[in-house]
Amino acid sequence: MNTTLASLHFAQAAEYLVPSLVHGAGLVLQTTLAGFFLATLAGVLIAVGRLFAWRPFRVMLYGFLEIIRGTPLLVQLVYIYYVVPLLLNLLAGMFGYKTDVQISPMAAGIAGLAINYGCYMSEVIRGGILSIDRGQTEASLCLGFGRFETLVRIILPQAFKSIVPALGNYLVMMIKDTSLLAYVAVNELLLRTQTFASQTFFTIEAYTYLALAYLILSVPLSHCVKLVEYKLSNSERQ
Amino acid sequence: MFNIFNLQKNYGTIEVLKNITMRIDDGEVVTIIGPSGSGKSTFLRCLNLLEVATAGRIFYNGTLLDQELDSKRLRREVGMVFQKFNLFPMFTVLKNVMYAPMHVNKLPRREAETLAYELLAKVGLTDRAGMYPSQLSGGQQQRVAIARALAMQPKMLLFDEPTSALDPELVGEVLQVMKKLRQDGMTMAIVTHEMGFAKDVSDHVVFMDKGYVVEEGQPQQIFNQPKEERTQQFLNRILLGV
Repeated sequence: MNTTLASLHFAQAAEYLVPSLVHGAGLVLQTTLAGFFLATLAGVLIAVGRLFAWRPFRVMLYGFLEIIRGTPLLVQLVYIYYVVPLLLNLLAGMFGYKTDVQISPMAAGIAGLAINYGCYMSEVIRGGILSIDRGQTEASLCLGFGRFETLVRIILPQAFKSIVPALGNYLVMMIKDTSLLAYVAVNELLLRTQTFASQTFFTIEAYTYLALAYLILSVPLSHCVKLVEYKLSNSERQ
Repeated sequence: MFNIFNLQKNYGTIEVLKNITMRIDDGEVVTIIGPSGSGKSTFLRCLNLLEVATAGRIFYNGTLLDQELDSKRLRREVGMVFQKFNLFPMFTVLKNVMYAPMHVNKLPRREAETLAYELLAKVGLTDRAGMYPSQLSGGQQQRVAIARALAMQPKMLLFDEPTSALDPELVGEVLQVMKKLRQDGMTMAIVTHEMGFAKDVSDHVVFMDKGYVVEEGQPQQIFNQPKEERTQQFLNRILLGV
């Protein structure tokens, strides 16, 4: 086998792989956007629940958090994609229904990302809420706002402002973690590359392009996050 | 306006307020003085249910307050000004003042804005409307906080040490605004360490110590001829530094 650099076929690999990766990148962005939006929502709900909900509910949330943080994202994805439908069918069977529930790869992937990241982000959001001076809540209550309105109008906007950098990091991490979705058959970048490499044996070329693709996605994004952070810290002098 | 009977507040085993009975009439200015830790602020916070009393009853215009039940309605009528101002840092001065009228009282934006400008004029800060709280001095922030409380058109205002967090030279401007409110006939309950001010504006002075109301009466009587030794001691320490 020829082992010189000349034996690498970057141009040839690019011809087939790059369009495919561009296509996959769209999917990755969609997944990340949906996943991050849902994760933020879940994070807020979990954080608020853990701070203010009825005590037994708080304990349940904490238990859930421990389960999610104690298991790998990859396992969770596989579980949601393969196991949850089986469990649902089993459950339906117990009540005498014959069902064939299936979850689409995309849906399973987004759900997994949202739940996993939601749990981690809830801790950051909880910290953000706790960092706001109690006086803000009191002032708002004294103006006649209820507890929920106070949280939504006064506390959360301030909490979010202080945690934007941390949340931004999660966004960049998530874009890279979408590569795990290859294992639940989402045709994202890694899966496309694997398929291509195994068909053509352009292993070095293919995975180098893959790494580049992730760099091109995540580096500008992390700079966007920095920009937002900078804008926020200058919008008002504190 | 307020009728308070045998009010008691405990934090765990610590008794902060012990059996306080008091009455605040419409249009009256009551100042509450006393050493720190005597329960003055806690008492004030019980009046608008920021704290829930352990025992005792509070009547507001004849209605018994029970915990959270009436708190929203009550707080629309009884405003509060805090020691640390507690302005909303993400809003401009104008928005701070017009926010509650708009969202609690559902006033249209234009009306809320007009109201806010009127109140800012009253506290002498019209020209600061577009600034953020962090760009103002403490005295200015407290005046905005007063305007914000007034924007709900309350029947009564509670002041929790409104000048204690201010540099000495900024105290006067806040007291000036409060004097103006008194002239307008606002009912006020004020926790303060400004004895000269208390003597000037009060209809009624309450001296608290260790959770008790030790003595209450007309300002002349409390400041010139206190009956209780503890009142005398406290006033000497504050006024004469002995």
